[in-house]
Amino acid sequence: MTVERRGWTMRALKLWLPLGVSLLFALFPFYWMAVTSLKSNQELYSRKVMPLVVHNPTLKHYVDLITETNFLEWTWNTFVVAVISTAISLLFGAMLAYPLARMRFAGATLVSFAIAATYLVPQPLLFVPLADLINRLGLGDTLTSVILTYPTLLIPFCAWLLLGYFRTVPVELEDAARIDGASRLQTLIKIVLPLCGPGFISAGIFAFTLAQNEFLYALIFLTTTEVRTVPVGAIAELVKGDVFYWGQLMAAALLGSIPVAIIYSFFVEHYVAGLTAGSVKG
Amino acid sequence: MTAAAAPALERRRPAFSLGRWLEREGVFSWLMVAPPVAFLVALVGYPFFYGIWISLQNRPVAQAGEFIGLDNFIHAWHDPIFRQVVLNTFVYTIAATLLKMVGGLGLALVMNQEFRFRNLTRALLLLPFIVPTVLSTIAWQWILDPAFSVINWLLVFTGIANPGPSWLGNPHLAMLSLIVVNTWRGLPFYAITLLAGLQTIPPELYEAATIDGASGWQRFRYVTLPLLKPVIFIVTMFSVIFTFADFQLIYVLTRGGPANATHVFATYAFDVAMGAGQFGQGAAIALSMVPPLALIILAMAIYMRPSKS
Amino acid sequence: MMHESSFVPPYDAFFKNKLAAAYEKATGIKINYDVVSVGSLQTRVTTAAENGTGPDMTHIGFNWAFLFDEKFVDVSDIAGEIGKESGGWYDSAAEAVVVNGKWKAIPFGNIGQLMNWRTDWFKQAGYDKFPDTWDELLEAGIKLKKAGHPFGFELGHGFGDNHGWLYPLLWSYGAREVEADGKTIVIDSDETARAIDYCRRLYKETMVEDCLGWTDVNNNKAFLSEQISCTNNAESILWSAKKDFPDMAKVIDQSENPKGPKGRFHMLNPLCHAIFTHTQDQKAAKDFLRWLMKPEQAGAWYDVAVTYYQPFLHAYDDAPMWKVEPRNLPYRDALKTSHLPGWPAPLSRAQSETIAKFVVIDMFAKACAGKSTKEVIADAKGQLKQIYRQA
Repeated sequence: MTVERRGWTMRALKLWLPLGVSLLFALFPFYWMAVTSLKSNQELYSRKVMPLVVHNPTLKHYVDLITETNFLEWTWNTFVVAVISTAISLLFGAMLAYPLARMRFAGATLVSFAIAATYLVPQPLLFVPLADLINRLGLGDTLTSVILTYPTLLIPFCAWLLLGYFRTVPVELEDAARIDGASRLQTLIKIVLPLCGPGFISAGIFAFTLAQNEFLYALIFLTTTEVRTVPVGAIAELVKGDVFYWGQLMAAALLGSIPVAIIYSFFVEHYVAGLTAGSVKG
Repeated sequence: MTAAAAPALERRRPAFSLGRWLEREGVFSWLMVAPPVAFLVALVGYPFFYGIWISLQNRPVAQAGEFIGLDNFIHAWHDPIFRQVVLNTFVYTIAATLLKMVGGLGLALVMNQEFRFRNLTRALLLLPFIVPTVLSTIAWQWILDPAFSVINWLLVFTGIANPGPSWLGNPHLAMLSLIVVNTWRGLPFYAITLLAGLQTIPPELYEAATIDGASGWQRFRYVTLPLLKPVIFIVTMFSVIFTFADFQLIYVLTRGGPANATHVFATYAFDVAMGAGQFGQGAAIALSMVPPLALIILAMAIYMRPSKS
Repeated sequence: MMHESSFVPPYDAFFKNKLAAAYEKATGIKINYDVVSVGSLQTRVTTAAENGTGPDMTHIGFNWAFLFDEKFVDVSDIAGEIGKESGGWYDSAAEAVVVNGKWKAIPFGNIGQLMNWRTDWFKQAGYDKFPDTWDELLEAGIKLKKAGHPFGFELGHGFGDNHGWLYPLLWSYGAREVEADGKTIVIDSDETARAIDYCRRLYKETMVEDCLGWTDVNNNKAFLSEQISCTNNAESILWSAKKDFPDMAKVIDQSENPKGPKGRFHMLNPLCHAIFTHTQDQKAAKDFLRWLMKPEQAGAWYDVAVTYYQPFLHAYDDAPMWKVEPRNLPYRDALKTSHLPGWPAPLSRAQSETIAKFVVIDMFAKACAGKSTKEVIADAKGQLKQIYRQA
């Protein structure tokens, strides 16, 4: 009896207490967003009522967000941009990672050094020259401008994650395939890639998250409402002078994170598995 | 020139040797590597060197530049705000990274136990990492407002303080607040990644250690930590890079105020380049973050070098 | 045409739906109206000017006419015509856009900054009128803070509400950053010291502590949530109050900044329209601006925003829109005593750098946070010297 109770106390102390505190810390701002998005402006600014409860819930901010701004269009843009730039980053990341993981070739050190160096290049240094480049290519105010520039932030991370992952594939499998007459490309596509699915999923999700969150490039390259992404669109149209449309901003934050949250909930298992399987052994 | 008499044969032979050539490691590798490398050179390499070139010029916005050598860097060195920016960035990066590392590891250890709703918890904990940063930061702006903050409300309610602390108005608290918000955003990613690392550690190792009489702390110190090192290294590196160059969060919450107490490299470079229209100075400030960042990462790489087991 | 998103939603809509449509009907030229968020406009103008692409016309503010001088078309001719047509320009209009004797943009309106205050709480403290001098304001503030209604003036790194009162304060004590020659640094003066000492007292004795970290949104939020009884802001507080808090709106008033020993000053925050030199058909762009500024168009546009943008043209001095909300009248009067930061020095790059580095703001803010007056003046002096030497 006492042993059992002690076990329970220990478990509460070692598991539920820290877990509860972490969840509270992590989720409280979301609760705040939800509460804020459901309050009328009158209630929002009132200090007389307890701020943690909604007294007169209203969906006005959600309705306004969807009917008065181009929020749905921004969401679609964000999705398109994030998916395509993630795909490009995965493809290029894999093209860099596989040879580095498996082959000996002249300049390999240089290439891996260059990839590492890309991490270090500060974004604030790049945007003026990049804007120049984008405009000379005639891509200003097109989604292509960010689809092309986001991979510069994502490729190094993808390459790094995948590099570790490729190394976990047993060389013997590849050798066997080669002996059976498969070319290097066939080996890669038919043998190696299927084994690295989780690696691609985790790199992909990571890239997707960063892409849909990016702010600086989107701010500079996308200026018309129709081509904006969620972060820039919301900031541009829900912040008027020194007045914030708090309710709508919070509604946008919640609605904006739902698509990604759904993707995460599907893939979280693979994501977690893929994130480290490579790097631990690599 | 192929002979018309035996087209099939002739065509196959060069194709065959081309295939052979393609199979050579060096050739295959470079064919794979070349497109992404070209892509990165065009969109990172070129702007980067262009940026360096700008940093060596007196280059006001909308005007031609004039080469002035290292003047911008000398100027920055004598600029009191720049010195504060360097200090702030280091404090911000180191504190936030440490918090994320310790907190993330702790949370990962907690979550490495068996319990119900583990997957759900894991997905929920990732939320701060998912939501667009600008928007979540705006929510924090309310949470840190003394009149609405729950902490202040509690302090006043329980009579400990009235009025409660000013989270963004006091220079020290402002930095602390930013560190907390940064940790809030980054910690889940840390925890989930470390958790994944923990799960790859074979249970037999712990069993063996327990048989050898190792205490809980010893098992952590001599089994968990060494095996987790590579993962810790990778997430820490991600975190250092992102925190060091952070822009959105600070820009939304304080824009570097009060009195530059929270200005960091990215926000200051942005203000100087965009606000003041001094591209040369702005580029020099942005460029100044490369060496310290490289040093931090190098130092970490050496320290965390996987020890030969 | 690129525009910062207006605080007044119908204002943007009016251009898109009415003005652009009318112009297209009259001339067959389609005008795209592109809204940019506040604070990002300069970034956008910078990239457009740097790369010579993007919008043909843009909304500009502050001293950008100087900053982007080479990238903007000279519009002196139409400025002259417009001035003649509409009763002449205010002097402050020229201060903002004339570079080397040429008009580089057409001023549209000023977004003035005034004292916003709660008449009910001031009355309880014994004030029927807004205090006329800074000293009286301090006195009133002390009483109001005791009564639980402190002041809240932005001292952080915002865009406008900090400059909106700190520069006028500095000037009204007779202090300057630079002489009119644009070279001689004169910040290190007894006048500056007095302004700083005053500011420190005002902060410590009348304000909420949080002001030091505020950006432009915070004072609106604090005012509307009834935390503060007085702040310096544009018309947006009264606007939001009318929309969401009709009862509070009744007890809000707006007044000119208090007087100092050397007079009364305000901040000039001009909204102007400029044409990029990369515009292919510059004449068409000019024609459009000319058309826009005719009383039929401009007048209607001003009306939509009901004095949020205060016209720089004397013809509108008694326009009906001023009668819609008499509490906005001080904005019109403030225009006469409004100047750009850096005044009385002419437009220069150094001005922008001083603003971007928050030299003057932080001089006051550091003093409020506890540094000595001597120290903060020395800091500011050092920074100004470096900035003005370079420019």
